[in-house]
Amino acid sequence: MAWRRAFAVALALAGTAAGAQRIVTSSAPDKVAVTIYRDPSRSAERKMDLSWLNGYALISETRHVRLPAGESALRFEGVAGGILPQSAIVAGLPNGVVEKNLDAELLSPGNLLDRSIGRRVHLRRTWTKSGRTVEEDAVIRSGLDGAVVLQTAQGYEALRCTGLNETIVYDRVPEGLSAKPTLSVRTRSPAPVEADVTLSYLSWDFDWQADYVATLSPSEDRLDLFAWVTLANSDETSFVHADTQTIAGHPNRSDYERPYPEFTRPLQLRCWPSDTTAAAIDAIEAEDIGFLPDRNIRDSLRRLPGVAMAAPPPPPPPPGMQAQQENLGDLKLYRIPEPVTVAANSQKQVAMLHRAGVKVRLVYRSDVAGAGGWLPVSRVLRMRNRAADGLGLPLPGGTIMLFAGDAGRPLLLGSGALEDKAVGEEAEVTIGSASGIRTRMVVIGRTPRGVSGALIVTSDRDRPIFYEARFAGRAAGKGLIRRDGRLVWATTVPAHGRILYRFTL
Amino acid sequence: MRQLALLSALAATSAFAQPPAAILPSGQSAQGDVSVTIYNNNLALVQDRRTLAIPAHRSRQEFPDVSAQIRPETVTLSGPGIAIVEQNFDFDLLSPSALMQKAIGETITLVRTNPATGQETREQAKVLAVNGGTVLQIGDRIEVLRDDGLPVRVIFDRVPENLRARPTLSVTIDSTSADTRPLTLSYLTPGLGWKADYVALFDEGAGRIDLQGWVTLTNTTGTNFVNADTLLVAGAVAISGNNGGNSDNDNADDDGDNDNRRTIRNAGTQSSGRERVGDFYLYPLAERTTIANNQTKQVSFLDARGAAAAKAYEYRVGWLATADEAASADTVLKFSNGSGGGLGDQLPAGTVRVYVKDARGAPQFIGESAIPHTPMGSSIAIRTGAAFDVKVRPEVVKRDKIESDEWERTARYRISGGRGGNETVQVDRNVTYYRTTMAYTLTNARPAPVTVDLVQAGLDRGFHDTRALDETVPGEQKSLDERLYHVTVPANGRVVVNATFETRY
Repeated sequence: MAWRRAFAVALALAGTAAGAQRIVTSSAPDKVAVTIYRDPSRSAERKMDLSWLNGYALISETRHVRLPAGESALRFEGVAGGILPQSAIVAGLPNGVVEKNLDAELLSPGNLLDRSIGRRVHLRRTWTKSGRTVEEDAVIRSGLDGAVVLQTAQGYEALRCTGLNETIVYDRVPEGLSAKPTLSVRTRSPAPVEADVTLSYLSWDFDWQADYVATLSPSEDRLDLFAWVTLANSDETSFVHADTQTIAGHPNRSDYERPYPEFTRPLQLRCWPSDTTAAAIDAIEAEDIGFLPDRNIRDSLRRLPGVAMAAPPPPPPPPGMQAQQENLGDLKLYRIPEPVTVAANSQKQVAMLHRAGVKVRLVYRSDVAGAGGWLPVSRVLRMRNRAADGLGLPLPGGTIMLFAGDAGRPLLLGSGALEDKAVGEEAEVTIGSASGIRTRMVVIGRTPRGVSGALIVTSDRDRPIFYEARFAGRAAGKGLIRRDGRLVWATTVPAHGRILYRFTL
Repeated sequence: MRQLALLSALAATSAFAQPPAAILPSGQSAQGDVSVTIYNNNLALVQDRRTLAIPAHRSRQEFPDVSAQIRPETVTLSGPGIAIVEQNFDFDLLSPSALMQKAIGETITLVRTNPATGQETREQAKVLAVNGGTVLQIGDRIEVLRDDGLPVRVIFDRVPENLRARPTLSVTIDSTSADTRPLTLSYLTPGLGWKADYVALFDEGAGRIDLQGWVTLTNTTGTNFVNADTLLVAGAVAISGNNGGNSDNDNADDDGDNDNRRTIRNAGTQSSGRERVGDFYLYPLAERTTIANNQTKQVSFLDARGAAAAKAYEYRVGWLATADEAASADTVLKFSNGSGGGLGDQLPAGTVRVYVKDARGAPQFIGESAIPHTPMGSSIAIRTGAAFDVKVRPEVVKRDKIESDEWERTARYRISGGRGGNETVQVDRNVTYYRTTMAYTLTNARPAPVTVDLVQAGLDRGFHDTRALDETVPGEQKSLDERLYHVTVPANGRVVVNATFETRY
């Protein structure tokens, strides 16, 4: 990061710049703050794709600059590669900004050639047999759309149609080509000044989410809930020692269209037709036949009588650092209390919350859709986000991993997704399905009013379980209640039990 | 300008002050005491207890030799006397392209080799831009790297700090004291999974089945797990956003209304003496084992002998239609995994391969079928294939339209206004029935009589009951949609069953 800035590209360019305008390069921020916003289109159940992050960040940089008298162009280097130039705000220049530019014309072999048309360059030819190198002056007469035609002392020639190893050597880099997209501002000052300039902009290639780690008590009615702020940066720029925040909620974005990466023109040279007799040999494709599995090792499994459990696992260690929640308008802000490094291509986790003894209910649920086979049921974790139940704080969306606390080692029961939940809301998280609890619907008969059916629920668990059947549309039956706009039959299935419920649809 | 350059130079030295991560001698794993909990949908929870020398206060610990497919957001580090400050996952990988990208503005060394003499010449070059190609400044000239195709070696002085050989997990911890102590790292990884493979030996004469269950364990994580305490977990653990994980094998019974294709005919509610947590059954491996990358390991977990089993033939006619050709009945193997006379164990999802002894007593494969997670006490039916000798041909013999004298009142309108005040109009419609006579020809080319479970489905046409009359074999209404006939076909014989249905459409 830092070493790249040690030599500023712009310095080389500065000397060639025409006119009175001086180029001042600010190579790195002195202080930086990063605020990361979630990808608005990514639902809680979708995982972050670290190679394609679609959230964004607000980056505020403070840079110390010295400006000469007169007009100068101040170039900001070391900004995020995903910068959204129209969002950039530059503050702190004593005499304001005349204009703001993003130079996106990149210095590439193709552009270098294209911008050198009509200029004198050097053509270097090497004879590989003898190792002899000859350099002669040439003028580029035609660009890369088609082929490169050069004028030499002997006449006109085409580049690399000679069978020799040839390259063009240039005297200078044409103006206006930069190594990376670079933001610059034009400013005027009557006298030389030093200033602390603040540059704020939005940038792509960031995202964050909450990751909850929940441990279910052996009685299956309490949770130990821990959460991480997980933030990721897939930009090429690292932000060292940055004040870091994340924002939960949904700020509106219009025109949320990500620009495609800058297309750099490849250098493709075409010659006159020059096929030879040896050109028609096809390459033979190698076939991957894979590995041979090692099937020789055979072990055997222990069969343990009954339930033999070790002590519960130790609780997660206390956080040495915990993100602090603040209200920011109608959004929630999570501030990492100390400056941290948001490195290029990295993911970072900092503790966010920890609550022990959260009241929950584990419910097995199925949707009665129609007659069918013995289907497994969903496992649903239901909790209310209120202080009386051990919660009562904003819960930003993310994934939740549920572990069982009563095994000798932590045992994953499954994971689900939690959308943003405000205080007082009920949260339901579906965590996988239970294959030992199965239901089946049978159509018994038809009446003029509809279908009469039966629902059979079986459980192989050695404790009573809460079961709920959800009906789509109209249904009639004993004990049906309405929950969240749907008719629900809720019951308790005894240990190793089998229950039959009759209803009409 | 001078001040900025100085700042950058300082930053450059400080970035390299930190020593690189300790690299272990090749072949030796940094793993400690490893426990692996493997779920049967390509997911594992790895617990790795490593003894580390920890300084007091804050320190950054790197963890090499974790799974190459680690899900970094699931990492938990715990140990006595430590608190977690932050967790980082850096995936800025060291590659030629990344090395060159990060060298923009830096000076590199070029070594040119004379193609004829092999003589090497060294030059210093500054990297100006890397966009499609590398543009270099050598002295006061501009060149594109290896544009002429001649051999040029590029030598970098160092590797930037942020670039790593592989994605690196690091945790910053805060310790109360400096000493050596064990820390437990746990995380989830796809790439480790298992499935059950069953070998069923069916003795038709005795009506018995022997079932052997094998666990097939696969490791494609890219990492060896050395001397691991291994626990297999049976059950569906759903992981949202798990791109590596396949859903559980429960789709084996997800075949809509077609009861014949269903493996679980009746779900069980018993439980075996095996260890279980929540909805999951645990299968611990008897001893520690090394699970090498790209290795397939097989472990025996079930050996049940002499369970009662019976062969059956099943044929299902989807609707009242004629088949052009006689089709084979399904050969189905029926048994129970309950405690009385059954296998006496639950069956994790997998594939059952059925073998029968041939005339010489050698077991021969007769077919296989997938089973879902099957609770103990279930009635199981495994379709092994189509019977060569037992065929069924359904045929529509007669289809009559019956105009009943009944008129159905379908609508009633009241037209108000007009000359004569209100007027009531009634719309009546004649009710039409269809009477379909089916003939099922069942043939048996075997030298022994067989019984075919013939199901006529497609009888539930909605709103109106279907009636069955004039059956030559008594039928059994299984549900509104299906009617079952047990048809005994004599040895080398043929039977024709007739049935007549009255349907609304």
